[in-house]
Amino acid sequence: MKEIEAFLKENKPLVKDDPTFLQETRRRMDQVDGIKAEVDHQRSYGRIALIVALAIGLAAGVLITALAYLYPVDVQSVRHGLWESVRVFAQTWRQYLLLPIAAIAIGLGVALSWKTVRQ
Amino acid sequence: MNQERFISLVRAEQEPLRRFLLALCNGDGARADDIAQDALVRAYVASGSFLGLSKFSTWLFRIAYNCYIDQCRKARPEQVPVEEAQSLVSGDTSDRAFRYQQLYQALEKLPEKEKAAIALFYFEDRSIKEISAILGMPQGTVKYQLSMGRQHLKQHIQL
Repeated sequence: MKEIEAFLKENKPLVKDDPTFLQETRRRMDQVDGIKAEVDHQRSYGRIALIVALAIGLAAGVLITALAYLYPVDVQSVRHGLWESVRVFAQTWRQYLLLPIAAIAIGLGVALSWKTVRQ
Repeated sequence: MNQERFISLVRAEQEPLRRFLLALCNGDGARADDIAQDALVRAYVASGSFLGLSKFSTWLFRIAYNCYIDQCRKARPEQVPVEEAQSLVSGDTSDRAFRYQQLYQALEKLPEKEKAAIALFYFEDRSIKEISAILGMPQGTVKYQLSMGRQHLKQHIQL
């Protein structure tokens, strides 16, 4: 075993002296630094965009609240819009609305079965 | 850690690191240097997390070993014939070249952990404690790997 140990200690692998090794390392590190700088830039840009969006949202909220207080809207006047009219109509005539729907369904059923029989 | 500080630390460690990887790559200098570059970039990216709890070289060697293991897992590399590998070491006498050829051929047959333990202990003169930190295994296991490695080498090296 002593011979093996002596052999290993005497025959350490020799590395070629390569002056470009550290240059290449430095080049790769520069690339890493470039990526780091870009990521930092994007992060700070995102942070600024977030702060601006928050500020605009806050200002818009304050403005709308102030307008709502300064110019109150008569709720009753806007309540009877188009959708409200449709809703009221449907509620009033619902028993008669079901009749045409049922008629259409039966008609379609008959028409389709007639077509199937003829084929 | 800035680039200049990192480079100054690496300057002292680059030769042992490349030699360690050269042994792991069975004398394939190009592959060893490629892994060394990868390891240095990884170390540079993670240099903020180096707390100084271990020696810089131990930390660097651990990263390099992990890079080597990652590369081995990704794809089985093309094996450089040992006859070619020994020619990477220039200026050797034929006797010395023959010994290197024998060494790399024998190292090629060792399992990765045994090879790493042998390379660190005999080529880099690292202590068992340091090897244990680099390879991430208990000191008893390092001693076992060394013992097995020696036995395996004895079968493949003719003295």
